[in-house]
Amino acid sequence: MKLDRRQILLGSAGAAAGLVLPGSAAWAQTPASIGTFPDGVTADSVFIGLTIPLTGVFSGDGGDLKLGYELAISEINAGGDAAKKWGLQGKGVLGRQIRYKVSDTEGKPNLDVQSATQFIQRDKAIMLSGSVSSASAIALEELGSREKVLYMVGIAGSNDITGKNCQRYGFRSQQNAYMAAKALAPVVAKALGKNMKTAFLVPDYTYGHTVYDSFAKFSKEQGWQQVAKEVVPLGTTDYSSALLNIANSGADVFVNIAFGADAVASTKQAEQFGVLKKMKLVVPNLSSFQDKELGPEIMQGVYGSCDFWWTLSDRYPLAKGFVDAFVAKNKYHPRWGAHIGYMQTYLWALTVERVKSFNPVDVIKAMEASKEQPYETTIGKVYFRAEDHQMVRPIPVLRGKAPAAMKGPEDYYEIVDVAEGESVMNPPDLFGCKLGPYT
Amino acid sequence: MPSWPALASQAFNGLALGSLLALVSSGLTIILGTLGVLNFAHGALFAVGAYAAFVMLQYTQSFLLAIAVGCGFMLVLGFLLERLIIRFFYGRPHEDQILVTYGIGIVLVECVRAVFGGNAQRVPTPSWGQGATQLGFLIYPTYRLQLIAIIATLLVGLYLVLYRTSMGLVVRAGIENPGMVGILGINLRRTFLLVFAIGVVAVGLAGMLYAPVVAVTPDMGANFMAQSFVVIVLGGLGSFPGAVVGGLIAGEIVSLTSAFNSSYSEVMLYALMALLLVLRPQGLFGSEGRV
Amino acid sequence: MNRSRSGGLRSHIPELAILATLIAAPVMLPHLGFSIDLLTRVLNWGLIGLGFDILFGLAGLLSFGQAAFYGVGGFVTAYLLVSGTLSSVWLALAAGTISAGAFGLVVGWLAVRRIGIYFTMITLAFGQMAYFIENSPLSHYTGGENGIPGVPVPVLGFGEHAIRIGAGLPMYVLFAVIFFGGYVLARRIVRSPVGAILLAIKENTARVAMLGHNVPAYKLAAFVIAALYAGLAGGLLGSFQSYMPPDAFSLETSGQLVVQTIVGGANTLIGPLVGAAVWLWLRDNLQLVPGLTTLWKLVLGIAFIALVVGLRRGICGEIIHWLTERRTLSARRAAEAATEAIEAGAVKAASSRGRDTALPLPSPATGDSDVALEACALARHYGGLKAVDGVSFKVRCGSIHAVIGPNGAGKSTLFKMLLDEVSPTSGHVLLFGSQVTGHGVSRSAQFGIAKSNQLNQLFPNLSVRKNLRIAALARCRGPLRIDLLRTADSLPEVEAQIEAIMALLDLSACADTPAHILAYGEKRRLEIGMAFATSPKVLLLDEPLAGMSPSERAATCALIRDIARTCTIVIVEHDLDAIFGLAERITVLYEGRLLADGTADEIRGNQQVQDAYLGGLHAHEPA
Repeated sequence: MKLDRRQILLGSAGAAAGLVLPGSAAWAQTPASIGTFPDGVTADSVFIGLTIPLTGVFSGDGGDLKLGYELAISEINAGGDAAKKWGLQGKGVLGRQIRYKVSDTEGKPNLDVQSATQFIQRDKAIMLSGSVSSASAIALEELGSREKVLYMVGIAGSNDITGKNCQRYGFRSQQNAYMAAKALAPVVAKALGKNMKTAFLVPDYTYGHTVYDSFAKFSKEQGWQQVAKEVVPLGTTDYSSALLNIANSGADVFVNIAFGADAVASTKQAEQFGVLKKMKLVVPNLSSFQDKELGPEIMQGVYGSCDFWWTLSDRYPLAKGFVDAFVAKNKYHPRWGAHIGYMQTYLWALTVERVKSFNPVDVIKAMEASKEQPYETTIGKVYFRAEDHQMVRPIPVLRGKAPAAMKGPEDYYEIVDVAEGESVMNPPDLFGCKLGPYT
Repeated sequence: MPSWPALASQAFNGLALGSLLALVSSGLTIILGTLGVLNFAHGALFAVGAYAAFVMLQYTQSFLLAIAVGCGFMLVLGFLLERLIIRFFYGRPHEDQILVTYGIGIVLVECVRAVFGGNAQRVPTPSWGQGATQLGFLIYPTYRLQLIAIIATLLVGLYLVLYRTSMGLVVRAGIENPGMVGILGINLRRTFLLVFAIGVVAVGLAGMLYAPVVAVTPDMGANFMAQSFVVIVLGGLGSFPGAVVGGLIAGEIVSLTSAFNSSYSEVMLYALMALLLVLRPQGLFGSEGRV
Repeated sequence: MNRSRSGGLRSHIPELAILATLIAAPVMLPHLGFSIDLLTRVLNWGLIGLGFDILFGLAGLLSFGQAAFYGVGGFVTAYLLVSGTLSSVWLALAAGTISAGAFGLVVGWLAVRRIGIYFTMITLAFGQMAYFIENSPLSHYTGGENGIPGVPVPVLGFGEHAIRIGAGLPMYVLFAVIFFGGYVLARRIVRSPVGAILLAIKENTARVAMLGHNVPAYKLAAFVIAALYAGLAGGLLGSFQSYMPPDAFSLETSGQLVVQTIVGGANTLIGPLVGAAVWLWLRDNLQLVPGLTTLWKLVLGIAFIALVVGLRRGICGEIIHWLTERRTLSARRAAEAATEAIEAGAVKAASSRGRDTALPLPSPATGDSDVALEACALARHYGGLKAVDGVSFKVRCGSIHAVIGPNGAGKSTLFKMLLDEVSPTSGHVLLFGSQVTGHGVSRSAQFGIAKSNQLNQLFPNLSVRKNLRIAALARCRGPLRIDLLRTADSLPEVEAQIEAIMALLDLSACADTPAHILAYGEKRRLEIGMAFATSPKVLLLDEPLAGMSPSERAATCALIRDIARTCTIVIVEHDLDAIFGLAERITVLYEGRLLADGTADEIRGNQQVQDAYLGGLHAHEPA
């Protein structure tokens, strides 16, 4: 590993103290000053910057995500039972209250970078988090690594985040498309049968293509055969042309990869075209509010997976704490966006307390070593993989409930299975991950 | 190469898509043609229409009643916007008009978001439009078939207003020769007010009718606005027949391209527009001198 | 802005002010919540804005597709660097900028065919097309919606001594230097002949074309300049944040640029920069207001509406307007008072004109032939109506030739055909034996046919001097010359000619008065003077005396005689007394046909002409 010249400039521009020189004995150790550390740590508080789309097409997911962060931060700052159950000591993190600001990024990666840089330069943010798209996450990972500020990835399911765009300073808790598909395919094949014919609706962007590649691979291993693949532009409002082709394809299963508002529009229209009568719907990555936006009449019987569903509170005590506190505060059940914000904040706080330092290099090294000492979380035991910073975690596989089977207004899914984490992981080098230097 | 039945079903689908684009664009084009204002709040008004249908449906439980009340709401909104803001901009440069309507668009969308949140709202297909109909060579959603008929009726109605009433005469005269109407001393104040309101109702109505089909979100209008711009450039600025024909052509382009490769459908739309600009810069129904 | 010739340091005050602001900003503004990074971003917006202001503020072309060029510049630069094709950021930037310019050339070529809202919508549509192409078919190169991460920062110097320009202050300095360079260049462009012509295009496009400038080409030049600036800014963006975002291509980027420019003030060059500072600052700080988190955009929207209702010229525009208003108020008041006095008839117009002014004009007769202009069987039909039906006549070189006829005789249509302003249905026009018809009005002007119009076609907000300069630049520079770096007033022969013509027109006293303030008679003289300032071989005067008082008529007739010493004149006029006093030869039209053609005396005695006029003229004799 050689010293990055950029780092010298950064170091001299920022805090001048404790520059690491090549060849010195301190080289292998943690630098005393890096990124916003220690400038961003005061006697009683630290700042974290949250970049979240509150307007624009991702504003629904963004709002949910924001509430997750806010719940975690208020619990940690209060230092009550909830924080203690996670294993945190006293009030705040290492005795420091968390201050935070939320910047609306409108779902544009450029504004993610702009807001995050403001947080770093103006507020001396010690940690960044947020994003509701893979594009934003990629941009923020890049920025975090350049500025040496830890970035905890928000909502982002693309393989690239912990694949070819992975970075030393970025950690993701959400499963990637590969993991989701590998967890989902056997369950669906078991339920619907082998030898099915599939039709895919693929939104034409990197995320859509990675989900397609992964699900096509694993469904093929189950003996499924692809008979149609319709690629549509991102943000399409009318899917009729593609749906006509799918309706005429003779498929048994309709795999809809569209996400967010696109998923709502395409599924609604698929129902009108009679596609859902003829075919079973499979959604490899369910959108946060898809259930409510489409209603149980359409969503019943739909198979899919996602990061978290609130009935996991029956299985994990921390999940129960999270869901109960969230419902009490926000009057609705959290979706997986909120869960990501909540869990990522806690994981960071836990790691900081483990190493007793806010120094990002220490925190990163501890996260990378978490396999030895897994975190106990809302979804059971999890750890970050050292090679690509992807969390190894259980993945819930869901099926939409019929309206009559729902026990409450938000009881949309039953958990069919929870896939065990290590069995669904991709080989760490499969997507070309090369983590950068620590310093 | 797709099969002939596939092409035929896409051609039919293009008709359905195109009729909607025609309705969306007609509101834009009569406002532009008569008032000379390019309404950048057009997409936002489309969304407002859809939300109006959503809200009214909660109260009335009847889709037709919801649309009727929703139209009344759009009419009032149109009146208010014209009286309070737009009328002060008739004599101002285009860029000021664009900026102010752009601002109105942001305000409308953010108001919707503040009230309803960013998630999609559920507007179910009306009971009389459920299911799909077998048309011989294809199966097509019943509601969309009905939409084609409804929109055709609306466009004929709009045609009658524009071509068979005295107000329509003034509007068309204004499109052909903006200076002349003023000289004739016709009361433009009321005509302009009405035209703006009709334009707002037309696009709002499009939003309401399409609410059961698309995801009803605050930002749903953005894509339609860009496409309706293409439609009126194709048809000729300010031309009502142009908007109708342009809409149908755009619908066919998007749909037929999808028979080959869906991901190129948007690109083809713009490519066609570029081609037309080379061959016939004033659009299909536009006159050379206008705008 | 009124920039007169006042050379030296004074004319560089704007540059110095910008320089001082750029140096002071990183010291002062962080206290207002601007991080260095945000300042750098403001400069990036300002840089696209410089080009956009030349296109929109100066030439009046509102483009809604600048994001396309911003994106092309950015992605070409980023791709070349990240793919390893080029290792030098500077070379990649140059390649990106040139690509954006080339793309601008293609889009512009299609777009400048239309004006007004049509132009706006065409650029918008192309912007959208670029966005879709970037996102889908080219996603292999552009990373689609993920953009291109890992764009390297620029390096200064080579090998051992190389300095990487890192984030923070070094990057700000780089952007400030580039912005300053861009500003100095943009200001030179504004002050160049091209800039003067672009401004005139915004004021009155048709007249610029009639004077002989190739209007579409100049518009295209402005379009390409704007695309180049946008491309450079786009290329810098990727390097600046080590990430090239796909939303550079989005419609909102174009929209934001337009809004920032209008808010900051169009045609001020720094308006977009100021607008960007306001927008980015508001965006950042409104969100921090408790209770506004998600409503900030709503507030911003309301702010726009209020701003565009309240400040018509934008922030910088209003400030500059206020400053120049104060400086020039007394001069303008005086000019307005003078105008009122003339219109009230208190002052004798055209009192002391130097009759012996030497005109630095080309010698009148060029060409071998004795005939300057020849109309050969010209006809123009509008449907069934034959406005002009097979009219032929010859204009002798160096003469004053009149075309008369009762109203509706087809005089104006004939006139417009003489310089190809209206294309004839059949027939053609020869100027010194070579064909004029079919080349369009601008080429005709370049061949040497100029026309003063029946209704004034001035550049109302430009001074008399600048009005004449646009005309005088036409034939000496040719239809198109991209001389961006010289100042518009740096051609001595042009300036001498303007002075001479102002003296001839008796307008020297109001050289710096905006044309719209002039008295009617003065405007008429300026109208004639502009046509004359192109140094034409043949000057067409369409009712030059219309609406003038008797004393003004006499003065204008004298002016016409003066002009006739240097060029051939064809005149259409209702005032027959004046015509018989001026013209050597007269062509009479009646109901679209040639009725008579001969010397003044022959026409005076022609019975047919008398009959025609008895039938129609008395009713129309001007008072």
